[in-house]
Amino acid sequence: MKNFVFISIGLATLGLALGYSLSSLWLWTPLIVAMGLLWLVGQWRDWDGWASIGLIFFVVAAAGGVGHDAAAGWLLSGTVAALIAWDLDHFSQHLNHAGHVENAAELRRTHLRRLFVVASLGLLLAGVALSIQLELNLGWALFWGLLAILSLSWLIGFSRGESQ
Amino acid sequence: MPNLSEKKSGGNLAGFRETQKHLKSLPFYQPRLLLLNLLIYGLVLGGLATLNGTLLALALPFIIYLGAGLLFEPEEPRLKVSRYLSADYAVQDEPVTIKLTITNEGSRLEEVLVEDLTPTPLELLDGQTNLLTTLSPGATVELSYTLRGKRGAYRFSKVLITVSESLGLFQKRRVILAAGQFLVLPEATRLRRVEIRPRRTRVYSGLIPVRQGGPGIEFFGVREYQPGDPLRWINERASARHIQTLFVNEFEQERIADVGLILDARQQSDAYAPEGSLFEHSIQATAALADTFLNEGNRVGLFIYGHYIDWTFPGYGKVQRQRILLALARAEQGDGHVFATLEYLPTRLFPARSQLVLISPLLPADPEMLIKLRARGYRLLVISPDPVTFEQKGLPVNREVELAARLAQLERGLLLNKLRQAGIQVIDWQVETPFQEVAHLAFSRFQ
Repeated sequence: MKNFVFISIGLATLGLALGYSLSSLWLWTPLIVAMGLLWLVGQWRDWDGWASIGLIFFVVAAAGGVGHDAAAGWLLSGTVAALIAWDLDHFSQHLNHAGHVENAAELRRTHLRRLFVVASLGLLLAGVALSIQLELNLGWALFWGLLAILSLSWLIGFSRGESQ
Repeated sequence: MPNLSEKKSGGNLAGFRETQKHLKSLPFYQPRLLLLNLLIYGLVLGGLATLNGTLLALALPFIIYLGAGLLFEPEEPRLKVSRYLSADYAVQDEPVTIKLTITNEGSRLEEVLVEDLTPTPLELLDGQTNLLTTLSPGATVELSYTLRGKRGAYRFSKVLITVSESLGLFQKRRVILAAGQFLVLPEATRLRRVEIRPRRTRVYSGLIPVRQGGPGIEFFGVREYQPGDPLRWINERASARHIQTLFVNEFEQERIADVGLILDARQQSDAYAPEGSLFEHSIQATAALADTFLNEGNRVGLFIYGHYIDWTFPGYGKVQRQRILLALARAEQGDGHVFATLEYLPTRLFPARSQLVLISPLLPADPEMLIKLRARGYRLLVISPDPVTFEQKGLPVNREVELAARLAQLERGLLLNKLRQAGIQVIDWQVETPFQEVAHLAFSRFQ
């Protein structure tokens, strides 16, 4: 499982670094590579909570890249790879700290299958979204934004209420 | 220790108020979920604020990840948990196996984490107390582990169940009651012999000399022959001196007695050192004495003084030995105001003029009551583990500590002398020496 995490971190770093460097943003590329290496070291040394810091940095870096008109496709790939690394890190820690694990193979299989579907769908939909050009004025943008935030909050709140 | 019976107890999710109460204190939101939400909100708000669709597109994988978590969120778990213990009680450091059987009576659970909340002083020897698995409807899984522990009563009550979907974003935590308990008995080292001379004995023959002629082993005196006396008892020398009168030897009768063991469980009389509590040594001594007295055929009762009226009614034999060991396994210290002195010792529990054995480090106010007991006709034996030397071992070596220890020893010496002067047998026990050695030396001296 750890190998998958290392590969994902590598891919996330590569994606973001390419996104920046292909748009000639050379100044930021070493910083992204350094952060990728730091995440790898943290992962190797089992530093607690390091994966979350790595994910936040990569998302912020991707958002920054968007602001600097970096290659969006690569930024998206890097972000999805960082999400996978973050997820797999949690899953591997979960397995390690659980004590005795029964049906470990099935647990891994189910998790990897779901993660693959989620990541692929996310990449596909985001890729499609990148290719669509919609002209929105401020009013519509605010409307859709508020709608998105409210429905997301409602969905989580509803789920939370149900579980209690 | 024999495996007397397999204890089984079960619990179900439905209808436990305690479970419901516990539930509210358990966090629903995971830090991961919070982080994911923050990233989504950040990207969406950033995209809207800058009117940049690419940022909104970057949020999509995270939204789908969150959506997948919501979609597969686990249903209310319906699990049945049963607990089996390999023994009801064990001796110190003897392994006991605990087995939990978890059956899923609801829908499929992608991830189930079972955490058995074990009492902390127990040492895990084999296996794990946690189990992570996936459970299909009707499936059963077993969690088994082996523990050992020091003297005490160990109660198992709750099992913490966490179910979640495969991505681990949404969890449901429930506590299921699956009770069980086992006792770790103190070690009872048998002593060679404990010489006691109570003023009153019981009618049955035993090992305690009662200063009365009759059948026995030790020579007691000579008396005139009476019809029915065995011929081998005739004292030929004494009979030869008197014409027409026969004399027979008499032997000292040996009987059993009532023995009341009183264990001092007052918190304020205890002492602590890095190796543990002095109370544990007192318990070891009590177990050894109970075992020895019962083995000699006596009727033994136990009173644990300190927490509440913990009285093991007097009895004989192996069953009584087991009762006393179980009471000692459960023994806890107390700091009740009522038990601050020995004044409220319920002496009516002990037969008049019987033998009492007090196992106590002793407090300055204790001799008064003990002398009163002696005056009432009880025979008293005090086993006093030395708290001063015991506690001194855990303190730094310096002049002040040495001086304080010397003063405390002087006070203790005076206290013990006071008891000895009142005709009370006292054994001053330095606990680094095994109790059987100390007892052997002391009882040979009393003889």
